[in-house]
Amino acid sequence: MTDYFEFIGSLMKGKGRGEAFKGLKVVEITHFIFGPNIGRVLAQFGAEVVKIETPGEGDRYRIAAIFGRFYNRANLLYAILNANKYIIAADARNEKARRIIFELLKKADVFVENLSAGLVDAMGIGYDRIVKVNPRIIYVSCSGYGQYGPLSRMPSFDVAAQGVSSVAMKTGWEDVDEFYKLPDYFGDYLPSMIATFAVLSALYYREKTGKGQYIDVSQCESLMRFMYDFTFYTLTGEEIGKTGNIDPCSSPSGIFKTKDGKFVAISVLTNSQFNALKSLIPDLEDGNRLRKEKIKELNTKVAKWVEQRTIDEILEVAKKLGIPVQPVLDDKEVIEDPWRWERGSLLKFRDRLLGEIPIPGMIVEMSGTPGRIKWLGRPVGYHNRLVLKKWLNMSDEEIKKLEEEGVIGYWDEMPGTAPPLIWSAEKDDVFKGEKDEEG
Amino acid sequence: MKRDEILMKIFSEDSKPLALEDVTVVEIADENFAAAIAGSLLAEMGAKVLRVELGDEAKNVTPFGVKIGEVGIPYFVESRNKEIVKFSDEVREKIFSADVVIDGTLPGYLDSMGIGYRQISEKNPKAIYVAISPFGHFTSKAKEFRNVPDSDLTAQAYNGYPTLIGNPYLMGEHSYPLRAGLWAAWTMAGVNAAVGAMIALFERLKSGKGQFVDIATNDVLAVVTTFPAVMGFLFEKPRGRFGTIDYLFYPFGYHKVKDGYIALATPTDADFRALLKILKRWDLEPDWKFTLDRISDDLERIKGLDEELNKTLQNFTVRELLKRSAKLRKSKLPFFGRFLGRPVIVKINTLREVLQDEHWRVRKSFLNVKVNGKEVVVPNSPIRASETPPRVKKLLGKEISE
Repeated sequence: MTDYFEFIGSLMKGKGRGEAFKGLKVVEITHFIFGPNIGRVLAQFGAEVVKIETPGEGDRYRIAAIFGRFYNRANLLYAILNANKYIIAADARNEKARRIIFELLKKADVFVENLSAGLVDAMGIGYDRIVKVNPRIIYVSCSGYGQYGPLSRMPSFDVAAQGVSSVAMKTGWEDVDEFYKLPDYFGDYLPSMIATFAVLSALYYREKTGKGQYIDVSQCESLMRFMYDFTFYTLTGEEIGKTGNIDPCSSPSGIFKTKDGKFVAISVLTNSQFNALKSLIPDLEDGNRLRKEKIKELNTKVAKWVEQRTIDEILEVAKKLGIPVQPVLDDKEVIEDPWRWERGSLLKFRDRLLGEIPIPGMIVEMSGTPGRIKWLGRPVGYHNRLVLKKWLNMSDEEIKKLEEEGVIGYWDEMPGTAPPLIWSAEKDDVFKGEKDEEG
Repeated sequence: MKRDEILMKIFSEDSKPLALEDVTVVEIADENFAAAIAGSLLAEMGAKVLRVELGDEAKNVTPFGVKIGEVGIPYFVESRNKEIVKFSDEVREKIFSADVVIDGTLPGYLDSMGIGYRQISEKNPKAIYVAISPFGHFTSKAKEFRNVPDSDLTAQAYNGYPTLIGNPYLMGEHSYPLRAGLWAAWTMAGVNAAVGAMIALFERLKSGKGQFVDIATNDVLAVVTTFPAVMGFLFEKPRGRFGTIDYLFYPFGYHKVKDGYIALATPTDADFRALLKILKRWDLEPDWKFTLDRISDDLERIKGLDEELNKTLQNFTVRELLKRSAKLRKSKLPFFGRFLGRPVIVKINTLREVLQDEHWRVRKSFLNVKVNGKEVVVPNSPIRASETPPRVKKLLGKEISE
């Protein structure tokens, strides 16, 4: 029999049978991360996603480049999050622009928005209006606290949601009077994956029944769903709070420094794992090992053992004995990790506008319908002409008039909004609306 | 009718169908809670989830050993709507006929038992197999580390997550990489696995074919958040701990005030100006006017602004800050409002404050469940859906009584 890993590898590296969401039309009015990441996933697996932005500055995530570093005038974080999308820019303050948005929504299978709760109603594209003209639509509203309830109008961002939901109180050192946020916008990314799951469940149901629906997902509830602390609190009357590097469900558990100055995470979950570790460190004694003081006592012994060994020695025994152990990597080690390149978690991608850039792989690896990146996020209004022609059958003259009236628009010169300096409108048939991104 | 009332009616759960009523799932997760979370999400949406247990240790994985009867808290919470059985020959048939099989065991283990994707897909080509493990079920490293079990903390570590957490100015053990205080990697992996299962289920309606879906908990955060790839490409050095400072916006973090802690964010320059107005610190404006002035990989440079802001913030109570912030927004025009700027300021809540908040009661964000005569709180599904609202009806195989 073939080796199991080779068998699965041959499935995953095969061509698959096509795109899961081919023909699915998605419209989004989104900014920052929570909303856009939903369209990102759908677009990775073949949906046609039209993202509507404001002319000029566009999605305000465009300006939020990491440490202010842009590449070819683009913010790569934005470019990756908005890959495979058709980017248009219409000024929603203008009545004509709102009519265009309305017409696009009539044709959409899915609509995603993460504006302040209730703003879509003021724009004339609230669920109650859209469902009348497009009853099959799956309409998703993303917000900090949900679309209804006393807090629904409160402003939110990743850190705010982490604060309101009490997640903020969980990360930090027990003896330092500070809290740290879960980094890299966990309070946006996790809720957006949950909202994506909700959209897909609704799409599945619609395939069976023809019925669309309205979906409301909040950042706070998404975070609270996985806080076992609430149940713990009602049982014990105590808040778990900050526990440093201890996972309160795991003992011993922590991050330890090795002989060669590296950091290693060890997290024992089961008795057999504990016994395996005990075979290496004989003075580890069990006896209700999940008690807080006991975890600390065990951790002290593990720390001593770790500091006498190199990271490689520790990983070797972990492999042999089956103990949950991994090195603690940093950004640089992540991007240089050969496993990630072999797996496809990192890909070298050549974009027509931005050039060759390493990008993260697909959200999930799938054998039959693998996702694919086709192009990276484009400048503000870049696909105006293409989308208005393709979706709404507009003529060049009509589009020109809309441009002159300021109904639709393009980038300003702020970094993150514009094409590379060497780019030429004249030579770009996609920009002119004469050709699609993939021919 | 007011907007809230209309929406509450739209989202009411009364006698509505469930989205995945016709889907059968077998979850073989044991103590891999990422896999259990994937099963839970499908179960909340109505899939018939059979949790098949090979071992008995998942019940013991619980904060500081606290149990509800015989089982730990994560086990209790993630048992939602599931039927739980021990593995036996009778169950074998159900594994082969399921629409979705979730495998949270060591890669290749179920294959060695004759119930892996190789055997299942041969008998049931429509089967969708969702594997969740540290390095996935393919690549040379996955094979090399096949016996290393999964855990949230080790997955966080390999994603590069803990190196980003903590105060950069602290020394000694406080300068170590720091764990995210909830199961960040396992949660993201579980949700992604459920998304993968749904992509496959949706596509199967057209093609009639199943497929293999692979989740590696060791890369799920790095892939989803996109940051390490961009960072590695644009910079020579990795990011370190940034504490409450951020690399896209400033301020964007937690700050101590007179009577507690707040989360503070000023995503635009207008928001930052509004903050300075509230704090009466216009003197800071010239040097820190633009977003790009306020972020830097040079921590020493930012320290100055951070110290000044922290010093000033401690003169205010949460209430004073909220009051001043509320006064800022006068524009009634929805499309102009944001140009006026307004910092996002919210109080950091304790668990008790969250549970007492009327908002979450109105939204039914938590379920009050009676177990052994005691009332415990369990988080509800985070999804509101008008036609097919997800529901939690059973815990540990028993109907719940609220």
